[in-house]
Amino acid sequence: MTTVAALPTQTGNRRRAWSRGILAGPVCFLVSILVMAGASLWYPQGPAQINNIAVPIAVFPAIWAALFFYLMLDNKLGRAWVVAIVLLLVHAGVIGQHVMASMAAKKAETAAVATPAAGVAK
Amino acid sequence: MIALSQPRTKDLLAIHGWSGVFLGLLLYAVILTGVVSVFAHEIGEWSAPLPHATHELPAQGLDAAIRKASAEVPAEFHEDLFFFSDTAGRIRAFFHKDDHRNGQPEARGVEFDIDPVTLKVLDRREGWADDIRDHNVPSALADFFVELHVSLHLPNPWGLLVTGILGLAMLVAAVTGFLVHRHLIRELFTLRKKKDPLLVKRDAHVIAGTWNLPFAFVLAFTGSYFSFAGAFTIPAVAMVAFGGDQEKLIETVVGVTVPEDKTPATFGNLDAMLADARSRSGAEPGFVTVEHYGRADAHVTVSMLPPEGKLAGATFIYDGDSGAFVQQKPTLGLVPSIGNDLFVLMGPLHFGNFAGLWSKAVWFALGFAGAYVTLTGMLLWTTRRQEQPGWGKLARAAHWMGYGLPLALATVPLARFAAPLLDVDVRALQNGTFIAAVVLASGIALRVRNLDSLRRVLLAGTGIALLVAPLLRWISGGPGWITAFENGLATVIALDLAVLLAGALCLLAARRAPAVMPVSHTTLSDEAHA
Repeated sequence: MTTVAALPTQTGNRRRAWSRGILAGPVCFLVSILVMAGASLWYPQGPAQINNIAVPIAVFPAIWAALFFYLMLDNKLGRAWVVAIVLLLVHAGVIGQHVMASMAAKKAETAAVATPAAGVAK
Repeated sequence: MIALSQPRTKDLLAIHGWSGVFLGLLLYAVILTGVVSVFAHEIGEWSAPLPHATHELPAQGLDAAIRKASAEVPAEFHEDLFFFSDTAGRIRAFFHKDDHRNGQPEARGVEFDIDPVTLKVLDRREGWADDIRDHNVPSALADFFVELHVSLHLPNPWGLLVTGILGLAMLVAAVTGFLVHRHLIRELFTLRKKKDPLLVKRDAHVIAGTWNLPFAFVLAFTGSYFSFAGAFTIPAVAMVAFGGDQEKLIETVVGVTVPEDKTPATFGNLDAMLADARSRSGAEPGFVTVEHYGRADAHVTVSMLPPEGKLAGATFIYDGDSGAFVQQKPTLGLVPSIGNDLFVLMGPLHFGNFAGLWSKAVWFALGFAGAYVTLTGMLLWTTRRQEQPGWGKLARAAHWMGYGLPLALATVPLARFAAPLLDVDVRALQNGTFIAAVVLASGIALRVRNLDSLRRVLLAGTGIALLVAPLLRWISGGPGWITAFENGLATVIALDLAVLLAGALCLLAARRAPAVMPVSHTTLSDEAHA
């Protein structure tokens, strides 16, 4: 009876260990990269106009370490997943929006250059 | 004492141990080669000394030497030039342009080795930057150790990625090591000599690790920063903020923009610019870049070495055409910033080169302690579990890496000095010898069953290789001690002595009585809660 009762717990523990491993391993790494890259868009440039680039690159190991220890040690695994996913989505969104805006600006610039040329041709 | 609940301490201890066990073998390799690389300059000077010892750019004659070299270089490579005193003491001057190979940015141009005293060109290499580096013989030995440390000789960006991850593992081990030692101050001084040998080894590991914690943290942080910067953080930020243009990112953070003017122009006197930089900073110039050499929009950036008592040197900008001083600037940007401060701190904190030989010696000692902590940590974890399935093999692997790697590293100088005698490519022979030594150590690790015998055999091999190295250096045409003394080549004599001493210590350690490591029922977890 004891063995039967222990089996689901063991399976649950193993599942939690795997989930924790994936969260604190590859997911943590991916989120850290996105936070670092995204920070170049929201971190203040400062008087030298370079802080938004230099600081996130310099503190990347700290971003990863802080996230790793939190994701590894939070007793509530579900909450840790939520925090990681929110960070991931927010930064993916910020980066995506910036890339789209850059592409639109480039397109508009190309169009602005092409329009007078077309007018001259007519 | 750090107050942590028992389950939390257990979790941290598990993270500490597993981060070390999973990545410890490679981490040990990175730390050990890093320890050697601290003396890259000295190794360069030892393996390929010039008749005169100097690592400074000359006060006079450099301008003429650069002008003469520039006349022998196609105009397209005048786009960029940098020069500095390299690991072997030569002035390395690289005229180049930014180009792309296989879709990746890479410089292409002509590189000169110039004698800093006679100012004669010692070597000329032309082609892609990576290929040019492969043909640089004087720096070959130092480069071998540095590249093994930086990227484990794996292709980019994979090597950098691996060493970056190893740096993070070391960061985790340092932080958790700090947190799990509940009696931090007491453990700084606790060595129970008359107890179980395993406890003695555990105490030695904890003492070395505890004293080394802040340093391990700094090295891990700065090391992973450097690895990841090359592997992906700079490309990632360039991708997001500059549409993938890494050159634009560099231009932005450097901060100097000169309107383009391709008109040919005379070039100011480099000797005068460097003299001005010396007088402004009270230090020697370390690295000099010239953009658009011989054009009206040329400008020169002189990065000074740190003056005594400071971590970082100044940066000066000169107008290339007139040679006039333009401004002093931080390394990054045009005005002081926290981004620049962080960037500037990383180098000296990682390389330990801010106070000459003294800081290097301290970095060497602390790095050596880090390698010792990594090795003893692995041996403690694996040996105490060696009767459990799988752990015996890991204990053997830890011995193989722990004592086999020093053997393989010790054979590389032998290859460096034998190559000219055998008339073969230096770098190829170095790589081949290292691989052959690793294979030999693997064979020995598989054949010798007793782990202590394995340790002794590998240590004895390392000792013999180290003792032979100075002799082979001399036989291969290097200066003897009398010649070295007469020419002021103190580094050559000092390194010979250090290598001989290290060899003798390895032989002594190999003769020492077996280090008994019984399987104990006491676990580190119990110890932590004792």
